[in-house]
Amino acid sequence: MNGLQGTTPGVETGHERGVLLHRALMYGSERDFTDVAVPYLRAGVKAGDAVVVITSAANTALLRGQLGTEAADRIEFIAQADWFRAPMQTLADYYDRTRRDWWPRGRLRLLAEPVWTGFTPLEVREWKRHEAILNVAFAGTPSTIVCAYDTSTLDAHVIVDAAHTHPELVDGHGARASEHFVDPAEFYAGCNAPPLEPPPAGAARRPFASGELPGLRAFLTAEAIRYGLPSDRVLPFVLAVNEVATNIIRRGGGHGVIWLWAQDGELLCDVADPGRPMEDRFLGYLRPRPHQPGSAAMWAVRLLCHIVEIRSGEHGVLVRMHLKLPRALGAGADGVRG
Amino acid sequence: MSSSPARTAVGGMKFGDHLCLACDNDAERHAVLLAYIRDGLRARHKVVYLAGERRPDETLARLVRAAPGPDEAAVLAGAAQTGQLTIRPVVEAFLATGRFDPGASVALLGAEIDQALAQGYAGARITGDNSFALRGSGRFGTFEDGCRRTFGAPGVRAMAICQYDRRWFDDEQLRRLEACHDGRVGVDDVYADGVLTITPTFTPPGLRLAGAVDESTLPAVRRALRRVGGRGSHLCLDLSALEFCDMEGLQVLVGASQSGTGMDRQVVLRGVPPFLGLMMRIFEWETMPGVFVEGVTR
Repeated sequence: MNGLQGTTPGVETGHERGVLLHRALMYGSERDFTDVAVPYLRAGVKAGDAVVVITSAANTALLRGQLGTEAADRIEFIAQADWFRAPMQTLADYYDRTRRDWWPRGRLRLLAEPVWTGFTPLEVREWKRHEAILNVAFAGTPSTIVCAYDTSTLDAHVIVDAAHTHPELVDGHGARASEHFVDPAEFYAGCNAPPLEPPPAGAARRPFASGELPGLRAFLTAEAIRYGLPSDRVLPFVLAVNEVATNIIRRGGGHGVIWLWAQDGELLCDVADPGRPMEDRFLGYLRPRPHQPGSAAMWAVRLLCHIVEIRSGEHGVLVRMHLKLPRALGAGADGVRG
Repeated sequence: MSSSPARTAVGGMKFGDHLCLACDNDAERHAVLLAYIRDGLRARHKVVYLAGERRPDETLARLVRAAPGPDEAAVLAGAAQTGQLTIRPVVEAFLATGRFDPGASVALLGAEIDQALAQGYAGARITGDNSFALRGSGRFGTFEDGCRRTFGAPGVRAMAICQYDRRWFDDEQLRRLEACHDGRVGVDDVYADGVLTITPTFTPPGLRLAGAVDESTLPAVRRALRRVGGRGSHLCLDLSALEFCDMEGLQVLVGASQSGTGMDRQVVLRGVPPFLGLMMRIFEWETMPGVFVEGVTR
């Protein structure tokens, strides 16, 4: 155990510049939290890093108090509730802010406290998956990401999976390798292991093949409106389904079937390709490089939807798209950048 | 652009049509006229071209130069030889006495039509460069009214395109002239299948896409972008009537700067609908080199 000193910037050596450090900070008390967070942030300020904190209002106040205004003024504080709204949006924001604002200033030194309450089990699974994806998406970048987990309030499975998705754990004694760390691809595959419930009996079913997408789009548009999808979300939804269907026509089995239904405040659309399986290695989670258009459509599909689940196997491919329907009284959905 | 009169594609013209072609560039004028002449020759119509030039061989040479290929050029030259394409200076036809006589001019058009039919042609296609109308605008309305009667007569086997160089007329004059016609004539769509319509545009040069670009219509977009390559170094794609475009389609549109002749060109995307703007932001394509997105708010 080298202690925190060895891996804190200020003392960081050149070879770490392009290395991602992704660490879980599991704390049971305010003291546990500040013992790690305060020196970590101070060292970042001293080193001239881009220092960013995304946490609760309470922890923000706690940190500001201990850091003092001079240090705190040089740190960007982002409200946890603003940042962790929907998994794909957060991932896209990470991509945007790092490249546009943070890396140009040097190394990113981030302290982030993900939100785990108020989400559906599927959303929680996606948040966990995204923790694993960060290891791949930001590999080789000058970033230190410390993710804070409050062991006194969080469910045990959240803590257990944090040890699976973070290569390192950090506490008052320093950083050490997480012995439970799982290869991100393996963790990702594990997230895809639970089978999808079949669509309910009342789901609308519609087959499609080449040349039939105009009719499919008209059908999707009418149904989405009928189910109450907000009008500005209808075209993004149709774009997403059309894209998956196009991929099946062009590169998959050539024809497929969609099912459409609403359930638990969501509009759901399954697109099935009985023809052939599809390789799914972080499919649509890694942002395509700018100015290099390729077969990166799934990145857009994921951003146009709330959550997209993919199951691929010997029976072909099933892509399930989830879109939030507005609750009866206001309270809009999110997930699409406009 | 507002309150435009009805527009007919030149390929859709029928006997009895008396349409107005107001252009400010030769590319558009020739695209319409060459299609008008080609369709006429194929349909065994006589084509009478009352030209602005004083020498018919100059007019023919201009048309031949504008022809899309050597085969089309040869057809034009051949038709001029046989007389199926007759080119006559408009000043000779209408202004022989030195002053414009609307009644005599209308009578002359009627005689041309009768002669064409008597010669055994299936019909007559007249076109005239009417920019001389500037000189006698007072009597010109009388002339166009006469034309309307001539071509509007029941059972008439003739049609006409009146050409106006819009650079010479103010908006009010043009509006009055256009009102004397059944509408405007425009170029033929290069593609139309009920899902997507692709129409050439000329000021600036480019294509207008209306409808949906998807896996079934994308090949037509690719073809049109390749063909439009020769017309100029820069290209404007008017997307204001594009209702849908999938991601591969968008990729082809923003990649149009690399398509065509192999030489890089600047592509201007005009009237980008909000959903396409959203996708371009997702892919960061709005900053693609060689692509300029008009009116985008960053």
